[in-house]
Order: sequence, then structure tokens, then C-alpha cells
Amino acid sequence: MQTNKYILGVYDNPDKIYSTTKKLINKGYKVDDVYSPFAIHGMDRLLGIKRSNLTVAAFLFAMTGLTLAVTFQVYVSKIDWPMIIGGKPNLHIPTYIPITFELSILFTAFGMVTCFFIVNRMFWGKNADIIDPRVTDDLFVVSIQIQENKTDIQALNQILVENGALEVRERIKD
Amino acid sequence: MEHAEVHIKEEKFEISSGNKKWAFGLMIVGFLLAVIGYFTYHPHIEGLNEHDLHHLTQKRLWSNLLVNGYFFFIVSICAAAFIAISQIANAGWYVAIRRIPEAMSEYTLIGGPILVIVSLFALPILYHWAHEGIMNPESANFDAILAGKSWYLNVPFFYVRMVLFMSFWMFCAHMFRKYSRKEDLEGGMTNYTKTYALSATFTVIFGFTFSMFSWDQMMSIDAHWYSTIFSIYNFATGWVSALTIMYLFTHYLRSKGLLNIATDEHQHDLGKFMFAFSVFWTYMFTAQFLLIWYANIPEEVAYYKERLFGSYQFLFFFILVLNFCVPFFIFMRRDWKRSRKVGYIVGAALLLGHWLDVYLMVMPGSMNLATLPTAENPGGIIKVPFQGFGIMEIGFLCLFAGLFLWMTLKALTKANLYPTKHPYIMESALHDVGV
Repeated sequence: MQTNKYILGVYDNPDKIYSTTKKLINKGYKVDDVYSPFAIHGMDRLLGIKRSNLTVAAFLFAMTGLTLAVTFQVYVSKIDWPMIIGGKPNLHIPTYIPITFELSILFTAFGMVTCFFIVNRMFWGKNADIIDPRVTDDLFVVSIQIQENKTDIQALNQILVENGALEVRERIKD
Repeated sequence: MEHAEVHIKEEKFEISSGNKKWAFGLMIVGFLLAVIGYFTYHPHIEGLNEHDLHHLTQKRLWSNLLVNGYFFFIVSICAAAFIAISQIANAGWYVAIRRIPEAMSEYTLIGGPILVIVSLFALPILYHWAHEGIMNPESANFDAILAGKSWYLNVPFFYVRMVLFMSFWMFCAHMFRKYSRKEDLEGGMTNYTKTYALSATFTVIFGFTFSMFSWDQMMSIDAHWYSTIFSIYNFATGWVSALTIMYLFTHYLRSKGLLNIATDEHQHDLGKFMFAFSVFWTYMFTAQFLLIWYANIPEEVAYYKERLFGSYQFLFFFILVLNFCVPFFIFMRRDWKRSRKVGYIVGAALLLGHWLDVYLMVMPGSMNLATLPTAENPGGIIKVPFQGFGIMEIGFLCLFAGLFLWMTLKALTKANLYPTKHPYIMESALHDVGV
């Protein structure tokens, strides 16, 4: 049975935490997550993290921006208020390019930032729930979820310490 | 870090009989097609006399040589620029495929002299400013605008610039290869540091000289016309083509079981580069086109009028499809950047598109005939419509492609397939773009 108890192992070296995580996964422990100040090559694959759908969202946002830009410009310059400027036709497609391009990027940028906040559950008034403040500086933390009557905490602690953990402690997540 | 095990070993490439067949087959077939195309081309255009029509045959021949000579030369010199730029950016990922741009840059040894010889003959035939009497106020051919540019556009200075620039680039490319091959034997940091210093020098000088080179070779064909973004547009063309050829070579070598140190990750990053610089090319294309279209100044639109409304209209839009739509919509997907089949298709489309791009820079301007200025025709230029994409074009393209292929494959055999003692080789071998 899963609990909300976690064992944290704190490390000071990306190589050490990578090899420890690999050992833990091989031994069948349920590694919840690894916290690091920077990306560790290969860690995503090791933890089995799936590819994010953010790219699809980005494409859809870009298409929204593109459609809106084209619709607005066609409506203004062809339907609502046709004006001859510099002898150009009313439906002057080449001049639409910069605005369409910029609006697609604007919508993509804003949309993706919004998505990022929503996916990471970051909004006003929410307290930052950092597992250990030092992961934002120079340390690396691996957190293992404890499964009742299954996880051998003694053995787990031993593995963590043997592989060079600076400290091992328990944490209860709400 | 515990990753899949990587063994850095000395690996050599050997030219197979299939490679030989392809390279020499292309050259021979190309040469035959070009010769047949030259002798079977009999233009019929109303209002032109026998002498003019004969001149047109000459023009088409040298235009084709110029298109191919220029395209393959800038591709191979952009490969050298890729090495230089990656080097000064301290890039690690590209080291596994570094020998491919090195090999491509070896084509300059033969492509450079070819381009000089082609220019030697093409100058009085293709370039209006180099015609007799253009700069001479007493002549009937006198053109005051071009005469005003004579301090820059004159034949001796043209050659001095061309030979000076090309020899400097070829020297740098040669030194990159030399240092890299020496590094395989000696190890250590000496050669890396030397390459670094030379790359910085090369990049700065290349930026300026490539601009002038593209004005001389391409922009001065339409000598009245000028565009300030033209050189970076040319650079984008050469750069994307160079990246595409690197991408195709990496796929090819891996499909033959060689270059195992390069993985899908490297392929992916090259694909991203192709995607990004295709968009960059389109940006430059639009930036050049949009301002000229909007301002509508006669001396500027002359260049686009022939291409946009004349007989070259189809090709003009076709290159936009090949160079923008194809890579943009296909290479947007992650797994298609990594797929060999899709990669070959997109690569072929991009190469054809950029070759056609150079073709469109040259042909509409160079095929025009010069006559005496009259009241009806003050510019003294007879516009010649698109003469069709015939076997002469295909022949010369095959001939030069075969030559390029042969030079590159031969250069690949001269050293290990990847630099075994480069300081970043392990970083490159473990390169990972993430999930």
C-alpha cells in the first residue's frame, strides 16, 4: 500500500545520484522523483518520464494566433474598410506576413507560459513546496515513496548511504 | 555516468564499388547530358538574329556552369564555416560528425579553381557591367549608372577580390583539416587551441568577405539592382544546404554500419538545425521581397518582376514550397527528424530547392541579351524568357554533384571517421537531447 511518506537522499554529485537512482530502480524501489539544479543527461529516460504534450499545445496556440491575425486583417482591409494604400490591392497578402508571424509567436509564448503555470500548479497565493531548498542551489535529492509492508526502510537507508548520500531523512507530503 | 558503453575506436571509411559507380556514373552521365544539351539547344525567339541566338547558347552554357560552380562552392565553404562556428561556440555535440564537414570542405580544392576558371570565361558573357564600352563615355553602350560603380565593379579588382577571398577560405579549411588529423595522432590540446584561434579569425573575415563574394558573383549579374540583405540570403542558402548534406551523409554512414558513435540524437540536432535555418532562409527571403514589393521603386522591382510575373513564376513559388513548406511541416515532428526515410526525402527536397534558388538568382539576369540602347529600349537589354529546364541543366547538375560526391567520399577515407582524440569526443558520444 502506498503512503505519503518519502525517504530523501541528499547528494552533492550528479554522477552519484544517477548511479544510485539506477540501482534503486533495479531493486524495485518506487523512485518518486529526482530533484536537481540542472538537467542530468539520461535521467528522464531512467525515470521513465513521458514526452510532454507542450509541443502540441504550442502548435495549437500558434494556429490560433495565425487564424486570428489573418481573419482580422482580411476583415479590416478587404471587408470592413477597403482602402487603397500605395496602389496595392485590398487583399495585400505579403503585408500580412509580419503581423501573422508576430501574432503566432505572441500567442504561442503567452499560451505556453500559461500552460506551464497550470501544469506545475503555480498560481497566486500558493506556497512553494520545495522538497529541500538546497536543490535550488548545489545539491541533488532523490525521493523514494514508502510502500507499507513492502519497503524495507533499513535496507533502503543503507543503499543510500553506501552510495555517498550526505544525509538521509524522512518527509511526509500532504 | 553509467550510460550505454561507448568505445572510441579508430574507424576508417572505405569507398565501396557502389559509391564509385554512383559518383563516376553521375559525372559521366552528367557530362554526356550537358554536351547533348548544348548541341541540341537551338533557341527560336522572334526579333533576334543568328548572332544573338548563338550568343544565347553560350550564355546558357556558362550560366549553368556558374550556377553549379557557385552552389557547390558555397556549400563546401559553409561546411568549413560550420566547423569554425561550432569551434568558437565550444560546441561538443557535433564532434562525432565533425569529419563530414571537414570532408565536404575538401571539395573547395577543386571547386575553387573551377569557379575561377568559369568566372574567367563567364565574365564578358554573363555580366552586363563587364561588357565592352559600358564604362566608356564615348561608347554607344555607355551606361552612366554602371560607370558610377566602376571603382568597385571592374574586371581586375573583381579577380583580385575573388582569388584573395577564395584562397584565404581554402587555406583556413585546409588548416582545420590538418589540425584535426594531426590531433588524431598526437592528442593533447595544442591542435584544439590552434583551431580555436584560426576559427575566430576565419569567422570574422568570412562574414565580410562572403558578403562581397556574393555581391560579385550573384548580385552583379543584375548590376543595376542591389539589395542589402542579399549576402545573408546567400549565406542562408549555402548554410542550409551544407547542413542538409551533413545530415544525409550521417544517415548514409550509419545505415552502412559505420559511424556508430553518432546516434539518433545527433541526427535530431542536425534536423533541428535544418528546420531552424530553413525558417531563417524564409525570413531573409521575405525580408528582401517584402520591402521591395511594398516600396515599388522601379529600379528595385526590376529583379522581382521577371521572377514573379515572368516566365520564371512557377519556379519562384516552387522554391518556397521546397525550402519552407516541406521542412517546416515535416521536420516539425520529432520522430521524422530521426527517421532515415523521411530524412532522405526532406534532404533531397531542400537540396533541390536551394539549388533552384541559386538557379533563379542567375538565370533570369544572365540570359538577357545586351544591345545598343535605343529610344524604345533605353536600358539596352533584351529580355529573354525562360528557356526551359532542359537536359543541359540536369547534365551540369549531375556532373557537379558527382564531382562533389567523389571529392567528399575520397576525403572521408583520408582520416578516421571521427576525431578520436578531440577533447569533446566523449561529450559528443554521450550527447542526449532528452525525452
